[in-house]
Amino acid sequence: MSEKNIYQPMRAKLVEVIEESPTIKSFVLIPETDFSFETGQFIELTMDGIGEAPFTPSSSPLVRDRFELTIMKAGYVTERIHQLQVGEIMGIRGPYGRGYPLEVFYNKEVLVLGGGCGFAPLRSLLYNLEAIRDKLKRVVFCYGAKNPKECIYQPYVDRLRTLEKFEVHRTVDVADEGWAEEVGVATVLLDKVDVPIQDTVSVVCGPPIMMKYGVLKLIEMGFRDEQIYLSMEKNMSCGLGKCGHCMMGEYFVCKDGPVFRYDEIKDLPDIWK
Amino acid sequence: MPRPAITFEERRWDVAMKALIKQNKLLAPVVKHDFQDYEIIGEHNLHQIIYNHPKPTTPLKTFFLPIKQNVTIPLQEERVIIMGVPACDLQALGILDEMYLDPDYPDLYYASRRRTTLLIGTDCHQILPHCHCVSYGLKPYPQLHHDILLTRLNSKVILEAASKAGEAFLQEIGQWAEGYEIVESDQEKIREIRADIEQRLAVLHADLPGYKMSGDLIEDAAEEVWQEHAFTCVSCGACATICPTCTCFLLIDRPDFEKIRQMDACQYPGFTRVAGGEDHLINLAERFKHRYMCKYVWKPKKFHSPACTGCGRCIEACIGKINKNEILTSLASVTTL
Repeated sequence: MSEKNIYQPMRAKLVEVIEESPTIKSFVLIPETDFSFETGQFIELTMDGIGEAPFTPSSSPLVRDRFELTIMKAGYVTERIHQLQVGEIMGIRGPYGRGYPLEVFYNKEVLVLGGGCGFAPLRSLLYNLEAIRDKLKRVVFCYGAKNPKECIYQPYVDRLRTLEKFEVHRTVDVADEGWAEEVGVATVLLDKVDVPIQDTVSVVCGPPIMMKYGVLKLIEMGFRDEQIYLSMEKNMSCGLGKCGHCMMGEYFVCKDGPVFRYDEIKDLPDIWK
Repeated sequence: MPRPAITFEERRWDVAMKALIKQNKLLAPVVKHDFQDYEIIGEHNLHQIIYNHPKPTTPLKTFFLPIKQNVTIPLQEERVIIMGVPACDLQALGILDEMYLDPDYPDLYYASRRRTTLLIGTDCHQILPHCHCVSYGLKPYPQLHHDILLTRLNSKVILEAASKAGEAFLQEIGQWAEGYEIVESDQEKIREIRADIEQRLAVLHADLPGYKMSGDLIEDAAEEVWQEHAFTCVSCGACATICPTCTCFLLIDRPDFEKIRQMDACQYPGFTRVAGGEDHLINLAERFKHRYMCKYVWKPKKFHSPACTGCGRCIEACIGKINKNEILTSLASVTTL
């Protein structure tokens, strides 16, 4: 077969497993063949003989020899992934879809709103924004998690807070004694931020309910639909715009997304389900 | 310039067919009692082939996207001739080609079968229950995607090339032919039958809204409409399985990173379920509506070829006795009142 077989995964070796929270782990993979992605694009990860699931890399797209996936234990495949040991071989297909349009962010402020495991794709974006921060005015990152234990990427957040042009706000639904930041759902953080709305783009990624209320809040703040970018989660099974499982209106989320501008999808049914 | 054509009388056609099936895998619709479907033709069933008949039970898509196919093993190419394909099924290849030959992600297995299959299309000289291609602006005779057009008039068989591969095929079997053009009287007869079938189909479905209007009606229909019509749906997926344009699939994993492409259906519960259990089509009526929206509203926005070619197989296959055409006709009647 001379042409590329779109269904054939390439092999990638698991070289490190990082425990991020009781339910979330990061997996560092080194692909055996050339692989690169743009931030916001996703891959299909195959557990040999078990199943395949879509994940957006959480590492910097500028690092080319390896990449990282941050995965919450949520279903049949992810439960098996959580049992993986360093040295095992995985399959990857992709990258797929349309990522974040970074050039649109140039000379603007970027307000990033994330929730739960939605931090994974956003960390990849933040790494990339970090690399192009000369071209940006400011990056404000608002993140919400269920509780302090589920606040992932603590060392990265600490580092982000030291970076020029970066501002970080965090909240948890339920605090513990050691928590000194905000308490409440992720959208409460939007009340804390002061951004020049006309000159800002916003990126939202997280559980559907958070995305829904996040978008409503942004609109209430004065953001226009076309200033809001969303990373949608549907059942992206083939990644190729064929299998139909991720159809959202006239879009195949896997190929036409997963990043959409809100005005492209706001009138479609069931986008928050 | 007319396309090359050859004609046979019955006996010589028989000889040509016997030679053809010796050297090729040839499928054609055969009729047994009330049942007609494609079979691999050998001398035992050569005389059961039914000509110019609409709608074999199996939609053409199944030959290009089998129910189950390992899509990670080396391709094995084999020339296949499929004879007696009606226009609705040929037309349906349009949207399959758009999806599976998509230059961004061509499916090598689909492409291989498209490349190695010779399609002999045929005019429909009859109308079966629920045939409604004409309502969607399509014709009951092949216009696209066929290599040869076959017409049987009484005991005469007429083959007309419709592609380069078709021209080569005519040369291949030309040695048994008796005529090398379509005589005017036969052409006239073909035109007459076509006009008659088209006109009868139009009268039969005079109240059925067209493709575009169906989309508008579906988009505007109240939720109660879907709840009412989905009442007898049992989510069996027969409508999608039998549909010549439905090709949703699952990728099933096998050891050694092998993958099986297996046909799926949006009517099955769990079709859109994501990790963690969220499923926006968990409700039966919503799943039911999704299929109509897909065919008449969303796919037309995305693809150039129609996602319903009016074959009516979904109506025949439905064990809940759900009649798509009755639903659309009733939506149209309510709107115009």
